[in-house]
Amino acid sequence: MSLQSDFYQLLKEQGYVFGVLGQAARGQELTTATTILAFKYRDGVLVAGDRRATAGNMVMYDRTDKVLEIDRHSVMAIAGVPATAYEMARILEHSFKYFRRTQLQELSFEGKLRALSKLLKDNVPAALAGTGAVVPIFAGYDFEQEAAKIYFYDILGAEFEGVDYAVSGSGSPTIRGILHYVNTWGEQPLSAMPEEQATVQALRLLTSAAEFDSATGGVNREAGLYPVIKFITASGVRTMPDAQLKPLFEAKVSRHV
Amino acid sequence: MYEEPYKWVEAVGNRRTYLDEQFKEGAPVVGVTCERGILLMTMSKGTPKLYEIYDRLGLGGMGHPADLEKLRFNLLEMAHVEGFNRSASDVTGGRLVKYGMAPAIKQAFEEVFKAPFIVKILLAELGQKAGKDGFLTINYDGTFEEKSQYAVLAATSAIEQKMAGYLREQSIASLEGAVDAAIRTWAVGDRAQRRALDEGEGHDEARTSPDQLAMDTETLYAYLRRCIAEKTVECALLDRHVQGPSKYRALGVDELKALLPNELSPLLS
Repeated sequence: MSLQSDFYQLLKEQGYVFGVLGQAARGQELTTATTILAFKYRDGVLVAGDRRATAGNMVMYDRTDKVLEIDRHSVMAIAGVPATAYEMARILEHSFKYFRRTQLQELSFEGKLRALSKLLKDNVPAALAGTGAVVPIFAGYDFEQEAAKIYFYDILGAEFEGVDYAVSGSGSPTIRGILHYVNTWGEQPLSAMPEEQATVQALRLLTSAAEFDSATGGVNREAGLYPVIKFITASGVRTMPDAQLKPLFEAKVSRHV
Repeated sequence: MYEEPYKWVEAVGNRRTYLDEQFKEGAPVVGVTCERGILLMTMSKGTPKLYEIYDRLGLGGMGHPADLEKLRFNLLEMAHVEGFNRSASDVTGGRLVKYGMAPAIKQAFEEVFKAPFIVKILLAELGQKAGKDGFLTINYDGTFEEKSQYAVLAATSAIEQKMAGYLREQSIASLEGAVDAAIRTWAVGDRAQRRALDEGEGHDEARTSPDQLAMDTETLYAYLRRCIAEKTVECALLDRHVQGPSKYRALGVDELKALLPNELSPLLS
């Protein structure tokens, strides 16, 4: 007898295989993706990501969405190989929906964290072979604790709580230091910032990452390309529209770069 | 015993009689479209009868809870595996019913050595555009029907027709109007069922046939007031205005209080 609540197990029983072992061909550059961040602000958690996907020195795509809404209260931001990351997101999205619909209750936040951890663990062979490493950030609203939370992972599936913030991707070393500095010696800690100030902070951080990391895409005003920024609060996930990002970027970010 | 064809036909006939008996005390289910989406409504005693199946699919059921659970799980499994392997827009009520559930229910019904499913199911599907909403109802023998504006489940097809006739006369636009029309239609069906039960048991007060029962609004509200005291009003909405892919949501007590007519809302707790 089982509770019949595990969609991933159901997929496996039907012959689905995730994290197939493969060796990256010599000289073959895989598509990867780049700077993501999350931090706690006054009303919840902000999650942001740039839009660039690269393969070696080549820019593959400048409109990638790396901040993926998994359900009404959870977001996974992805760094690493998009093919694997998108597959993980699809499994998680269906797993959470399947649990809610079969068990007639939401999967707990802890259960959601474990689900991602299991996928990363199953993906270890592909990650080590160089064909599918993903280093995500998972953020969501924990109704048991009544707080929005941030977790980050290593490629083996270990989860760590980002008490104030978390970063991942090739541009993350640049902004990790900035986040520490702002949070410790800034006029106010990140967690006290209102939404607009937090948004400006996220835009500045991603612009800084793009300045020093070629694999991170900056803002392209001519093409109207802005980072993806989402907010998680008790009422759910909300995306900041480009129409609101544009004036903020022009007033508070562009004059400094 | 069932080797000869006429005996098999007789056995299936007996099974039909047996199954008809099982639904006599079940609660009717009403599904109706409105500007906001699709409303599903019933009244239950404890066990819920309305469920979320997929992003745009909701289910209402009558019958044995264990059978309903089994079929609900089958539907959930089919819908989610299909949605994952292909896409959410490939998960349609028509495909799930015609190629998945109806054949399985029919097979169970006709295999006379095995137990049939004691269920009647109403599947509501929110269209991608207004005017494209639809319903499928499946009977215990696997026969199914497709409908567009509304659909109902009740103990017998005669009572279902009576409910559908009542619903057809209602003019529904808003969600509030849909809740009011649905709960009154439910009362039409439940009253007719109860009357049919009383008649069967030879009660004197059941001299009026179900067809002659008064269906004026005040009488229905008075009947509903008695039902609400004993049962739980269950309403779910496939909400066109909800952000994100999942459109199904159960209506909570506070929301229902605001939507129900004044004659009934104070009774909700």
